[in-house]
Amino acid sequence: MDADIKWLDDPETFRVNQLPAHSDHYYYGNYNEWRHNNSRFVQNLDGQWQFNFAENPRKREEDFYKIDYDSSSFGTIEVPSEIELNNYAQNNYINTLIPWEGKIYRRPAYALSPDDGQEGSFSNGDDNTVGEYLKRFDLDSSLRGKQVRIRFDGVERAMYVWLNGHFIGYAEDSFTPSEFDLTPYIQDEDNVLAVEVFKHSTASWIEDQDMFRFSGIFRSVNLLAQPFIHVEDLNIRPIVTDNYQDGIFNVDLQLHGEKTGNVNVRVFDNDGNTLINETHPVDSTVKVQDQFLENVHLWDNHDPYLYQLLIEIRDDEGNLVELIPYRFGFRRIEINNDHVVLLNGQRLIINGVNRHEWDAKRGRAITMDDMTSDIHTFKKNNINAVRTCHYPDQIPWYYLCDDNGIYMMAENNLESHATWQKMGAIEPSYNVPGSVPQWRDVVVDRARTNYETFKNHTSILFWSLGNESYAGDNIVKMNEFYKKHDDSRLVHYEGVCHTPEYRDRISDVESWMYLPPKEVEEYLKDNPDKPFMECEYMHDMGNSDGGMGSYISLLDKYPQYFGGFIWDFIDQALLVKDPISGQEVMRYGGDFDDRHSDYEFSGDGLMFADRTPKPAMQEVRYYYGLHK
Amino acid sequence: MAYTNKLRVIYGDATLGLSGDGFHYIFSYERGGLESLKLNGKEWLYREPMPTFWRATTDNDRGSGFNIRSAQWLAADTFHKCVGIDLTVDNQHFAELPIAPITNEFSDPVSAENVKIKYTFETLTVPATQVTVTYEVNGYGEIKVMMHYYGHEDLPSLPVVGMRFIMPTVANGFDYQGLSGETYPDRMAGATEGTFHVDGLPVTKYLVPQENGMHMDTRALTITRDSTQNNADHSREPFSLTIKQAEQPFAFSCLPYTAEELENATHIEELPLARRTVLVVAGAVRGVGGIDSWGADVEEQYHIPADRDVEFSFVLNAK
Repeated sequence: MDADIKWLDDPETFRVNQLPAHSDHYYYGNYNEWRHNNSRFVQNLDGQWQFNFAENPRKREEDFYKIDYDSSSFGTIEVPSEIELNNYAQNNYINTLIPWEGKIYRRPAYALSPDDGQEGSFSNGDDNTVGEYLKRFDLDSSLRGKQVRIRFDGVERAMYVWLNGHFIGYAEDSFTPSEFDLTPYIQDEDNVLAVEVFKHSTASWIEDQDMFRFSGIFRSVNLLAQPFIHVEDLNIRPIVTDNYQDGIFNVDLQLHGEKTGNVNVRVFDNDGNTLINETHPVDSTVKVQDQFLENVHLWDNHDPYLYQLLIEIRDDEGNLVELIPYRFGFRRIEINNDHVVLLNGQRLIINGVNRHEWDAKRGRAITMDDMTSDIHTFKKNNINAVRTCHYPDQIPWYYLCDDNGIYMMAENNLESHATWQKMGAIEPSYNVPGSVPQWRDVVVDRARTNYETFKNHTSILFWSLGNESYAGDNIVKMNEFYKKHDDSRLVHYEGVCHTPEYRDRISDVESWMYLPPKEVEEYLKDNPDKPFMECEYMHDMGNSDGGMGSYISLLDKYPQYFGGFIWDFIDQALLVKDPISGQEVMRYGGDFDDRHSDYEFSGDGLMFADRTPKPAMQEVRYYYGLHK
Repeated sequence: MAYTNKLRVIYGDATLGLSGDGFHYIFSYERGGLESLKLNGKEWLYREPMPTFWRATTDNDRGSGFNIRSAQWLAADTFHKCVGIDLTVDNQHFAELPIAPITNEFSDPVSAENVKIKYTFETLTVPATQVTVTYEVNGYGEIKVMMHYYGHEDLPSLPVVGMRFIMPTVANGFDYQGLSGETYPDRMAGATEGTFHVDGLPVTKYLVPQENGMHMDTRALTITRDSTQNNADHSREPFSLTIKQAEQPFAFSCLPYTAEELENATHIEELPLARRTVLVVAGAVRGVGGIDSWGADVEEQYHIPADRDVEFSFVLNAK
């Protein structure tokens, strides 16, 4: 198959040859590798890559992926990083409107008519900048002779991949891992990987998040080899029984490779006691079923107790082939007959924040230090919950939340704000995904990828279908996906508040954003049939966060109210050198001559962009400390 | 000493001078206020303290249109119209300001135990209302400042009601007894009470410069400087001014900029070089709000309604 640039225009083509999403477990060759977090099966490709920038698709080097292409004119770029922050393309911050507002007239394909394919909309778009990346590499010796795939952890926004001149695949969904099998074409030495990244595709309509609009390979790239027997997916299902004391443990493994050897599954508590120890012959599916555990130690924010799962795969001679560790907790979330959300049988209160991934110098290409610093800030200020607004985060963040007892609302990569709201008014005439059939599979795929990748994380209490995308049949389908696959979590979606006709089919909880305290109380007084939360509240732009007590006091009056997520955790501002003063200064929307912009609206954090707290933080610490 | 705990009164032809042990004050008849506040030879005033009614627009103010609805308070904050001065020395009330020839018969020195001078301002609003600022000085050099805002129902809600002092040089820092951090009426529950030191005059680095640095419920404040504009003053020894509450605690901010200077900048680095100290002592402070930044108003109990009188006081050079 050859790559086709027309896929950029087609909402029904969003993954080509991309491997199915699976659990985010790490795997190792032995215990020592686990201890040092250094798997023999992984080869990291981050670093300097060759790079060519094109202002639009017509100006790109179409043949750059071919093995005889002379790339001596290419520059270099750091992977991961944002193309814009390397000063190839203009920075732009825009909130609800689409980034080509006032520049290009477009409508989403098929939104207005089933015949309206909007051909060339992006494949020939004047604003569609292109990054062409080349990476030459030799395969590490420990990966040679094995099945090898490549994993891109995050690429905005549409990507074509070639290896040694052969087309490998195409992917969208910027914020989830994209994996492709390289085995047919990979060599031990002198491989040439070519990645072509387009800033815009039909995905741009559903990735219209309130943020700086970047593009590029902004998260890590790794080669992953598979041992000859390999666990492709694990699905851990720890269940807390109705007495909130005992546990039932299930795990399903999907295996790839040869059907030989054994799988040993063990579960340990924190004292090293073995609670489960089962060995099964390797098969395409291996299950540990309904193991009853008396008096399990429950997981919550105060006591994020995790059990250790260890999976060993051994060949027929007993040699260790693959080792998979995973830490999981027992916890139970539900809504009781009084419409109160319970965690482990106790009322759940969300003292939450929305968190964009942000670093003042690196944009969304954040570092592990950024993540651990944010967790530290959460703990220090009684923040017990995070909404991954408005896309899935880097994988380590989910592990950090498990370890630290941070309740997570794991949101899909979906926001189509510009298609249904104009200048504050609801105007959904060309809304997507809406109920447009051609936009169904792409959003359900995003729900599936989010679920399959992160399903084992104890910290996730809620799946969120996305942000500010109105509602229609396609969001119903996303809701159905989660309901069908996961009965251990609740589903959240705020946008349905504009479309009451979908209320019974979307979202387990009633969620509004920025509803003033008096109106929250109106809802709560009226014997609500769904528990209530604010997925965004206390808008922390500039000098703000006044009146928080009015929300917090409602928690004492109404058990159906279970709190909310402050908007938001950290200012989106960029640290740049001011040519006038010579100082390093913070810049926001519009500061790069970027128009249309939403200017300082990029700065709504409890933290300044340099990760120092705003003065309001002491207020948050106090009020969030009242219902810890 | 004959004049211990007594003020020496200097009847000038455009000013009234008051001095005592370690202090010397000059009240101007022409400039609408206290022109000089000198303690131990160090000047504390760059210009006369004036009533202040504006705060640099916050993002929430802008989003809710408060700055537009209440814009006339910006004019009232920028320009001041003094319409009357009323002087009482001990029990003697002067129907007319005491300059020559009235004072030609006075002797020097004249002493007094208590001097009260009241400035009346007409606000540059439509309609106008009145504000009085009364300075009452005792023999120890303590100045009790009383401000009274006369409510008027046809005026828009106020950003702040206070007095603004501009000091000639940048302070080294300040110490206060009150609440931790930056606080506002609707954002002070999380603060702890105590005594706090602040180094320098930090401006909270909100992306767009705006109202910042307020401290609610303050009992005492000491500002420390080590420089003056006096060319003959070669000392860099630190010196301080202490302000204490009178009947009630006060709110204050101590920054290098006026509200107008903050208002003019779209980024921190556009603010002028810090060269003075701007102290606002406030009797009423509007909340900052937080419901949203595109329309929601500050909760009503944290507004400053224009139709209600505001009266507050504090003591300068408190002992």
